[in-house]
Amino acid sequence: MSTAAVVNAIASTGPVIRRVRAYFAPVNRSTETPTIFDASLAAGFQPKMPPSPWLDLGWISAFERRSETKIVGVAAGSPSIANYQVRQTSGATVSFAFEEWTKLTMALAGGSEHMNVLVPSAGSAANGSGGVSGAAQGIVLGGATAASPTTVPMATADLAHYAAGNLVAVDVDYLGQVGYVGSGVNAAYVPSASSVNSDPDYVRRVTFNVARVQQVTAQALMLAQPLVAGSPVAGMKVQPVLGFVDREGGTFLQEWSALFAMSGEQGDAVFFHYPRLQSMEGAAEASSVLVKPLVRSSLAAAFRALPVVDGVDGKTVFCFRTYVPAPFATV
Amino acid sequence: MENTRNSFYLAMRSGLAAVNPLRTMVLRGVQRPGILVEENESAVAIEIPDVFVLRWTELSIDEQHPLPLAQQVCEFHYWTEGTFTNGGLDRGRLLAAMDAELVQLLLAHDALKQNFAVTPPAPMATSLFWTTGVFGPIVVDKNRLRRVGRVTVFDYEEAADL
Repeated sequence: MSTAAVVNAIASTGPVIRRVRAYFAPVNRSTETPTIFDASLAAGFQPKMPPSPWLDLGWISAFERRSETKIVGVAAGSPSIANYQVRQTSGATVSFAFEEWTKLTMALAGGSEHMNVLVPSAGSAANGSGGVSGAAQGIVLGGATAASPTTVPMATADLAHYAAGNLVAVDVDYLGQVGYVGSGVNAAYVPSASSVNSDPDYVRRVTFNVARVQQVTAQALMLAQPLVAGSPVAGMKVQPVLGFVDREGGTFLQEWSALFAMSGEQGDAVFFHYPRLQSMEGAAEASSVLVKPLVRSSLAAAFRALPVVDGVDGKTVFCFRTYVPAPFATV
Repeated sequence: MENTRNSFYLAMRSGLAAVNPLRTMVLRGVQRPGILVEENESAVAIEIPDVFVLRWTELSIDEQHPLPLAQQVCEFHYWTEGTFTNGGLDRGRLLAAMDAELVQLLLAHDALKQNFAVTPPAPMATSLFWTTGVFGPIVVDKNRLRRVGRVTVFDYEEAADL
């Protein structure tokens, strides 16, 4: 005799959320093509192992979504009577604080071009975002050590410039191109070569393709984190980075595809997917007191959602909210 | 948490050796700086004068960080009855001297965390850090003057800590 499985369903409870985690994916700025998070990926989503190409931005706090959509009644007659409704405006904003300070989170929250501070050449003039940098070192493809997102093959002599623990930027030379630059993520827009002084290191100055060096072998830099652009390709070079700098001002607006995940305590989950978010504020910090006088600083961020078209029905939308109910909950 | 406690104690011990090399004690037959961790020593009824006794009390964990942030309270218990040669009349001055030493010890504010599960202890990737000391009132206990200083010690919990 076989016994059919029986589910003892329970009433659906509202999600109880402990904290929110943010994920990043690039937007192709030239074509305004975002990275779409397919709603079917929500089931079985692993918070610490997001599906490619999503990158974990860590926990965020003070997460707040706001609808900018206004629905108004259309009245007619005397006395006027609301006969139907129309959407007068549509839009959405979202704000929160990044708990992690990284290249990605600083750049997204900063709202403008975000610079890597390259090691300056001897005697270079002082500059707020870093002076003229020293020479970059090329990568070596096709050798004994294969390139990968965490392996940057280089000539032995060039590797002598690096040590475990260094930060590095890995990207192509600036060769006078105009438009969006930066491998993996469009990091800045160059209107003309003269605007960036034809600096051959400009792309590496703004690139998101940065990482910490975990080990220097005889053939390669071994990175502690994968490069956002994946395996290094021909034409890329490496430069040491001392830190990061952003500015109040500038002309560039960072744009990204965002995913926010809220795991419920009953196994349920809520996801908010904004295919296109642009920063709407300059760089700012949020502070919270640990125990006086110690203050913890996080990156305050606010974004405006830009529209995409849902391929299912051609509707213009700004955000997708996906809910995965708790196991056994009625729906 | 244990790595943090041990790292903090070593920072305080080496700091005391620099601030006042003359503040020493003989414990279990070994002369060493006059600072000990209560939970690391035998339970004894005798209190040692003119040394700092560290006692760990409260613990809380904040998960709202990329790494869990542990917060532990460490109390510094110390007392003096002055010197025999001065008939104890210098007990106030000696307690003030210990106050000043503790202030100096805590001015460091941070120390590299070490992993004591390996031999020799290995440097870890994060540092512990602590608040400014908060000093309780002087307690008069017959001919003894006592005080307790409190400091909150923070550290991020690495994989080797958990």
